[in-house]
Amino acid sequence: MLLTQVIITGILVGFVFAFVALGLTMIFGVMKLINLAHGEFLMIGMYIAFWTSTLLSVDPLITLPLTAVGGFLLGGLSYYFLIRHILRGPTLAQLFGTFGLMLFLRYGAMFIWGVDVRVIKKGILIGKSFSVYGFTVSVSRLVTAAFSLFFFAIIYWMINKTKLGKALRATSMDPIAARYMGINTENMNALAWGMGGAIAGVAGGLLSNFYYINPTVGMLFSVIAFATVVLGGLGSIRGALLAGLIVGLVEALVGQYISIELKFTFLYLLYFFVVVFRPQGLLGWGES
Amino acid sequence: MRSITPVKNVLKDTFSFGDFPLIERIGFVAFLIFVLVFPWIVHGSFLRSIMIRFLLFSLYGLGWNLIGGYGGQVALGQAKNVGMAAYATAIMITWWNIPFWATLPAGIMVSVIESLILGYFLFRLKGYYFAIATLVVALVWKDLFIFWDWIGGARGIELPLKETPTFLYMMFDSSIYYHYFIFFFFIGAVLYMNWFRKSKLGYQLQAIKNNEDAAASLGISIRWTKVKAYCITAAMAAVGGCFYAVYNYYVDPRSVMQLDLSILIAMMAMVGGAGSMWGPIIGAMLLIPLDRFLGVWLGGKGFVGADFMIYSAIIMVIAAFEPKGIWGIIERIRRR
Repeated sequence: MLLTQVIITGILVGFVFAFVALGLTMIFGVMKLINLAHGEFLMIGMYIAFWTSTLLSVDPLITLPLTAVGGFLLGGLSYYFLIRHILRGPTLAQLFGTFGLMLFLRYGAMFIWGVDVRVIKKGILIGKSFSVYGFTVSVSRLVTAAFSLFFFAIIYWMINKTKLGKALRATSMDPIAARYMGINTENMNALAWGMGGAIAGVAGGLLSNFYYINPTVGMLFSVIAFATVVLGGLGSIRGALLAGLIVGLVEALVGQYISIELKFTFLYLLYFFVVVFRPQGLLGWGES
Repeated sequence: MRSITPVKNVLKDTFSFGDFPLIERIGFVAFLIFVLVFPWIVHGSFLRSIMIRFLLFSLYGLGWNLIGGYGGQVALGQAKNVGMAAYATAIMITWWNIPFWATLPAGIMVSVIESLILGYFLFRLKGYYFAIATLVVALVWKDLFIFWDWIGGARGIELPLKETPTFLYMMFDSSIYYHYFIFFFFIGAVLYMNWFRKSKLGYQLQAIKNNEDAAASLGISIRWTKVKAYCITAAMAAVGGCFYAVYNYYVDPRSVMQLDLSILIAMMAMVGGAGSMWGPIIGAMLLIPLDRFLGVWLGGKGFVGADFMIYSAIIMVIAAFEPKGIWGIIERIRRR
């Protein structure tokens, strides 16, 4: 009985983790670059939802398009002002470039909005839950999971079935050859960043329904997203979904049965063993 | 049979800075003299603490430069080595009253053995996989130390104050002693790095950085070389950790095992110029005082976070336009 409840919670949380990881894996899939500031994009999305809810009394659910646009702009601007330049450098410089971006956004948020922990109190979904066969399901988490699945479907379809997706995949496989074929790889990279940012923004907007908001909240989600993405295989979209669910389940089960303080520790250990003994992740290399 | 390098040659490699241009040698000597007389000119405890922090982070940075700069392996979890060694010293002094100089080798051993075992597995990985795996390992250790009640958990360990200043436990009532104490380690690290870059291991490591396949075809054991370098880096971080325990009189997971520390160490070496002799020192020289002054100046005015914004802007600019760091800029100017 308790086990089933824990599994339900775990799967719902897993969809959230997968959602956050989706944006990260997209960027990596296209340009082989890990965005350390991904969690900070999410954090900005949460703040957008918070301020529109507090100042304008707009429900966080209705502001989702706004968080998407905000995330898209943030991603695109980051690409044009920073990422474009650091791509020329070695891996080390790339890591530190996005690391600098992470610090900048995090402390920028702290500078503007202060360090207070904030919570959205009013909203259609907030605090609501229903029970089926005696199991409690939180509405806001269920809706987030549904959005997550929806976005996975959209992105998967876009990458694999549309012309734009083909151009993105071509850029991923061989940027120089793609350029010869008339693909503007610069725009493709910017688009990948914009979409990665938009996904993080929407995830943030949904998360703000049931998670506290402060400038340092991004770090936790970043680290979980890295673990999820690598677990699923860097750049793999299906892998991110699968790994997200596994991560959610592990987190919920460890939190329930072993220790609430060690729930992320086990996650990191799982990540470590998978990556050392199967470095290509669960769902292999190179597919999109 | 393996030939053994005569001691004379080792000493020559260690103490000879002859292959550096004259201006660099003069600059370095001037810098050493400045550090040496610093506590006699400056009496403010704030400035002195900045100087000690700068020397400590130069030590970390010099160590990190070995694996990250010369080896090109982005190892991001140095805080675990600092933390373990700091804890080893703190525990041995607090519980068993063992002198500092006996805890120092113990702290180094703990970090090196851990790095040897983990390094063997970690170096199955490359690039981003390696970088994130090292980060994750450091996070696991931090969580475990917070969780581990036997060693104080999140509360940490407070070292007992000795009534009289003592060299045995390295506990003093004036920061001037700590200044020369860390300066001594700093010089040791500089001399070691000077030997290292001309050593066999140094050349092997640089060969791996430039082209792994070519290095392997020359008979270099890739994994073993990387693991060795990783352990040496860990040992240097451990020396800093042991020092920190007796300098700060208090260790807890948040101060010595924090992710920020791991990243700061790598970042300073990178901003100064990874893979060059002076890079990490220059990086620490710029970032540590900047960090402290901005923190005090802007934090005092209520601008929380503004210091880190300036800090991160510098990192972004360096990463975007001069990946070789400040030392890269200096060399570029000189070549004109």
